[in-house]
Amino acid sequence: MRSLPLGAAEAQVHLTSQTRIVAAVLAVFFMLLILDLIRRDRLQERYSVIWFVAGLGMLAGAAFPGLLELLANAMGVRNTNVALFSVVLLLLLGLALNFSVIMSRQAAQITRLAQERALEKALAEKGAEGRNGSAGEQSLQAEEEGL
Amino acid sequence: MRTLVFIPAWNEEASVAAVIADVRKALPGADVLVVDDGSGDATAERAREAGALVASLPFNQGLGAALQTGYLYALRNGYDACAHLDADGQHPPEEVARLLAEVEANRADLVIGSRYHSGAVAASGDYRPTFSRRVGISVFRFFLTLATRQRFTDTTSGMRAANRRVMALFSQHYSPDFAEIESLQLAVRQGLRVEELPVRMLERAGGSSFLTPVRSAFFIFKGLVVLLVGQFRPRQAEAEQ
Repeated sequence: MRSLPLGAAEAQVHLTSQTRIVAAVLAVFFMLLILDLIRRDRLQERYSVIWFVAGLGMLAGAAFPGLLELLANAMGVRNTNVALFSVVLLLLLGLALNFSVIMSRQAAQITRLAQERALEKALAEKGAEGRNGSAGEQSLQAEEEGL
Repeated sequence: MRTLVFIPAWNEEASVAAVIADVRKALPGADVLVVDDGSGDATAERAREAGALVASLPFNQGLGAALQTGYLYALRNGYDACAHLDADGQHPPEEVARLLAEVEANRADLVIGSRYHSGAVAASGDYRPTFSRRVGISVFRFFLTLATRQRFTDTTSGMRAANRRVMALFSQHYSPDFAEIESLQLAVRQGLRVEELPVRMLERAGGSSFLTPVRSAFFIFKGLVVLLVGQFRPRQAEAEQ
């Protein structure tokens, strides 16, 4: 029975040039897709910046594998592919969180819009029944802004 | 003293008219607003027929958003005090009148009607909680008391009375998901005087509670997360800086 040479476990696993080419092609297609989405008004610019950064990162990783190896060493990971996966995973996690934040803000805005509409309609209904002036209309603006 | 009583209602066509009639009898001087939370039934029509003003949310937004609509209406239309109660007939309007009296006497900014306060009288036909509900109640009671350092017995009560300070706060900040508990925590943290008053509540007229054991457990978990997060919100003094 042959024992493995001790050095084998220490060897760094590099990206193959095939992986690099595939990654570069995917990154280019990805960025073209984003450009097209913006061009056709399907994606707003302010939400596209983060995707462009992701595409550029992918391209940089493919073009300069030294960057990834540097990163892998910094993370204490011997396999560069694992480092790549970890970075992409973190990026996706960040994006998902970003979307949750945007979603929460929009949910709050939708709620307020619904409330404003409901109150407007109710007041219009009341106004149609009999014209009672609302006394606190002036002081309320200050009160609301005070918070 | 102008007073608004508002009633959040979601698919309560069977009971809402009777509740409005009772409120108008018990509180003849108060205006009544029904916040229809995107009901699919005739809640809004029944409420209008019963003489209430109706604010209809275009789609169901949850109890918190409905209550906030009421506070917003009260604030914007210059009411001095407001109160809300459930549309299912669990809350006797005479008890709401007692809560309002506390606010109008300026003994508190926010008054909660409590089912479990030691002073609450239990009569036949009165409210008796189920087991899973009792567990949830004690958990929330414990943690809310811990968080606010003030004793609360009925953390999820939907019968409350408030003055303009509370209207101003709740119309700006009111969690849509965990309205009852978080709003208490928020009010105490903002330095408002929050008080509990023992009240009688009735067994719900129709329908069953939505709480199954699994849902209760999830509800409790969610509530604890909300309470924990709420502890990190800025207080009034800090927020103004």
